[in-house]
Amino acid sequence: MTQPLFAASDVLSLAMDIGKSMIRCGAEINRVEETVVRICRAYGMQRTDVFSIVSVIVATTRDPDGKEVTLSRRIYSYATNFRQLEQLNALSRRLCASPAEPASVREELDGINRDPLKLHPTVCIGNILGAAAFTVFFGGSWKDALAAAPIAVILWLVTSLVRAHGMGKLFVTALSSATAGFLAIAFVKLGLADSAGMIMIGDIMVIIPGLTLIHSVREMLCGDLMSGLLRLLESLILALAIACGFAIPILILGGG
Amino acid sequence: MDLQHALILLLAGAAGTCGFALLFRMRKKLIPWAVLGALLTLAVYVICLKYLHHAFFQNLFPALCGALYAEVLARLTKSPATQYLVGAIIPLVPGGGLYYTMYAFVTGNMDTFHAALTQTARTAAGLAVGIILVSVLMHQLRRRKWKTVFEED
Repeated sequence: MTQPLFAASDVLSLAMDIGKSMIRCGAEINRVEETVVRICRAYGMQRTDVFSIVSVIVATTRDPDGKEVTLSRRIYSYATNFRQLEQLNALSRRLCASPAEPASVREELDGINRDPLKLHPTVCIGNILGAAAFTVFFGGSWKDALAAAPIAVILWLVTSLVRAHGMGKLFVTALSSATAGFLAIAFVKLGLADSAGMIMIGDIMVIIPGLTLIHSVREMLCGDLMSGLLRLLESLILALAIACGFAIPILILGGG
Repeated sequence: MDLQHALILLLAGAAGTCGFALLFRMRKKLIPWAVLGALLTLAVYVICLKYLHHAFFQNLFPALCGALYAEVLARLTKSPATQYLVGAIIPLVPGGGLYYTMYAFVTGNMDTFHAALTQTARTAAGLAVGIILVSVLMHQLRRRKWKTVFEED
């Protein structure tokens, strides 16, 4: 072994925390598994076996003396953040080229993960632009687009502030969809917009799990069947929750 | 479809993709590339809309072009293909289809419901198959590298 040897548990723990951060900002599973294996190998581990799905990573690594360590990490929620994903990629590539002391790398990892703003203005602008533009895209008027914007801000507040998972996430999605639907119909009844349906479509576009569906297809194809299936189910159930949410105001107030 | 409608689709789709790039915290330098991908996909989509009459094929070819664009750009800029793929595919995601399906169901219009559901499913299938074809191609090209990372006894 030419490289300095660190304890297998420290190395694996670091590699898995990097992997966990990657899943949390929306990486594909094969990228995560590959990262964990590559980092462990770069630190001189003899062999590493890793299995990951969107909610858990399990890995075992063996150091040159033959001692084995197994660790696991649980992931509860994830939100797409390409900027952070690129930083994590760069970090892991650098580690593979020249392994650094795990403790110092951990500080850097904490720096990447730390996001001082819970409510990020860029994301808010993205929500507004996305909802307004897709309202027009699907045939709405400019008035409809203007009405879709404030509703998108509310959706942004809910998705940024509420960190729910499981049943909670479904409930929050359905509830915020229902609120968005009520507001859309209210805008039309007040004469501020032309078509509640178009406003709803624009706002559906920013909460519809399109990215999850794309990931799911890609993962199933790369052989990560478990992860792909979980994501497929998740996106279908979320789509159902969104549909149920928007159905409530239409049922009560009529008109779309 | 007239020219004005096509232009609205292109411009609104590009603006929407820009919104999604911000929403997903894409690096500002990469956003123009994502928007360019959306414009390419939408241009193909508009042409397909005019000449093809099945939702599956109307979405298959744009998705193919978008996925190829993403893979090429990922090689050129050395960043993950997912970023560009999302940008290129987002305008085709059947948000409208989901709404029309739900609306027909809620208002009890079962014929429209079936038609809208079929249309939405065909759109999603077209997108998926387009992405799949490109992924399979790329996976075949990468397979030798793959074996060196994951070893088995």
